Amino acid sequence: MTTLTRQDLNFGQVVADILCEFLEVAIHLILYVREVYPSGIFQKRKKYNVPVQMSCHPELNQYIQDTLHCIKPLIEKNDAEKVVVVIMDKEHHPVERFVFEISQPPLLSISSDTLLSHVEQLLRAFILKISVCDAVLNSNPPGCSFTVLVHTRDAATRNMEKVQVIKDFPWIVADEQEVHMQEPRLIPLKTMTSDIVKMQLYVEERAQKT
Amino acid sequence: MDELYLDNIDEYVNDHNKIVTYKWLSLTLGVHVNTAKQMLYHYLDHKRKESSAQLHATYLVSGKFVDNGQTSHKVSVVREDQLEDFKAKMSLVVSVHVYSVQRALLRDSGPLYAVDYDAVKDNLKNCSRYSAIHCASAVPMSSVELQQAREVQQAPTPEPENKKTGMNGDTSPVLKSSAKPPKGIMGMFANKSAPKSQDNTKEMKPEKKEDIDAPKSKPVAKANPVANFFGTQTSKKPEKPVKKEEAPQSSSRAAQQQHERSKPEEKQETVAPVEPQKDTKKDSRSKTKRLEDSDGEEEKMETKKRRRIKKPEPDSSDEDVIPDSPQPVVTREPSSPSPKKEVEPDRHSHPSSSEMKIRKRRRVMKSHTFVDGDGCMVTEKGYVSESYSESEDDFKPSKQASRDPIKAKPSSSKEDEKKTQKKASANSNKGAKQASIMGFFQKK
Repeated sequence: MTTLTRQDLNFGQVVADILCEFLEVAIHLILYVREVYPSGIFQKRKKYNVPVQMSCHPELNQYIQDTLHCIKPLIEKNDAEKVVVVIMDKEHHPVERFVFEISQPPLLSISSDTLLSHVEQLLRAFILKISVCDAVLNSNPPGCSFTVLVHTRDAATRNMEKVQVIKDFPWIVADEQEVHMQEPRLIPLKTMTSDIVKMQLYVEERAQKT
Repeated sequence: MDELYLDNIDEYVNDHNKIVTYKWLSLTLGVHVNTAKQMLYHYLDHKRKESSAQLHATYLVSGKFVDNGQTSHKVSVVREDQLEDFKAKMSLVVSVHVYSVQRALLRDSGPLYAVDYDAVKDNLKNCSRYSAIHCASAVPMSSVELQQAREVQQAPTPEPENKKTGMNGDTSPVLKSSAKPPKGIMGMFANKSAPKSQDNTKEMKPEKKEDIDAPKSKPVAKANPVANFFGTQTSKKPEKPVKKEEAPQSSSRAAQQQHERSKPEEKQETVAPVEPQKDTKKDSRSKTKRLEDSDGEEEKMETKKRRRIKKPEPDSSDEDVIPDSPQPVVTREPSSPSPKKEVEPDRHSHPSSSEMKIRKRRRVMKSHTFVDGDGCMVTEKGYVSESYSESEDDFKPSKQASRDPIKAKPSSSKEDEKKTQKKASANSNKGAKQASIMGFFQKK
């Protein structure tokens, strides 16, 4: 039984790596399932021993990777409260928000050898839930785009603005328009609790999409 | 008892929004797979009669399939809407049963595998307990037999692999109807693995177009509208995109504009799904464009600086002869536009030698008292009266004349220097223009 604290940066990095990998797969899958991009650009790949759909478009992939690369330091320090994938219509009003609420226990304890495989199983369940989420959601209007918002604790964003983690990839404070949605409907998708991270996924959907 | 399973399945499907496969159901409820299949069928039937919630189902169809004279046994998982078509294509249908029931319309078969994965993993040792496929001699090996098998394992591994590829050819699920069109798009992206690492978006765009021409020989199915987008591009203009790319490749900005222009051309039916793709492309393009714009501007500045500095270079040889001028010495680095201004006063600084060479202009000099007011205008007159040689030399005398009164008062010359610098620059600009005007007059 090993008890590690957050000061053990190596383990914090491991958790951040796991979460960022998962978020990458999740974002690709959301884009596929919600038909933000045509299905032709997606290719079946394997993650957590199950097939997932990942995009092959190099610029889209680079954009998502850069986004998550910037989010990773926030997750390492446990500053990221929520990571939100917002799907917006042509007028840039949000129609759907996939909210990943992340919280990490202050004292990480590895209680079993099978911790990571257990986490993998839980993440697999998340993937599965995203795959079937269109049963509970209304279809989106055509011509949607997406963006990623991060809700952070305290003043963590000040550091982000000062230090550009990736050159020419600035993060700006989100507009009120992008953050708030008219008449949202809340649909919970999945919750997971593990020793290293607690995550909740729910969808806020606008009542009238078109 | 009989109705209980219906409620169970209902709970899984509607409340939990799960995908219920027959395998998962048999392992969860502890029933034989055939029972599970029947349960699912009855549930589906029941719900369809009630027509309460929208349910989707997938079916497993197995039977004989004749393909170009070759018969094969095909086992496929198909969506409900494709079921009848698929059954019609088969020569003999051996079995059809419900594979899964779910609320969501599945776009691909990935989640079906994911559902069974965990269920099987949990029951790994007895996953075939409820299975309909039985073999009496299939019993777990003892440890001795295991060791023997491992030693022998290396040799026979290549053989079964060959057999597998032959068998699995027809057993792929048919859920994705758009198998061919992605090849057109995938062909684009597949070749991007090399330039991806370069991280240069400029090159990728013209390369993408080139790759579109490469798979044009493949008949692209028109089912996918995005494939249409690229398909029409290849069928209509096979050569033009290549030619267009070759020309703009020299200038990156033009390539981007080309890309944007050709995209609106092919919009046709593909407005909606392609737009988000374009938006991201345009966003990244705008980023790169900004970079390239700044690069282009820098290049322009440099060339301009170079040009400006080149002009006085032929005159630089005269500098040695000239006594020291109050102006600073020229530095030939194209780092800022100030050298240009510094250079031109130096041009003024050597009046005597140039005067020696071209005497004709002396006559024009007399009128240069007007330089203080409108120096540019005076020099024009000077050019008209003479045969035009070089605009640079024409500059020098004009500036020299303007320098003459200033030379007497070097202390107060700073402001005048600036003025003359400005005028010199104006002269130089006008000189460049005057060249064309001179040519017009000379023809007379």
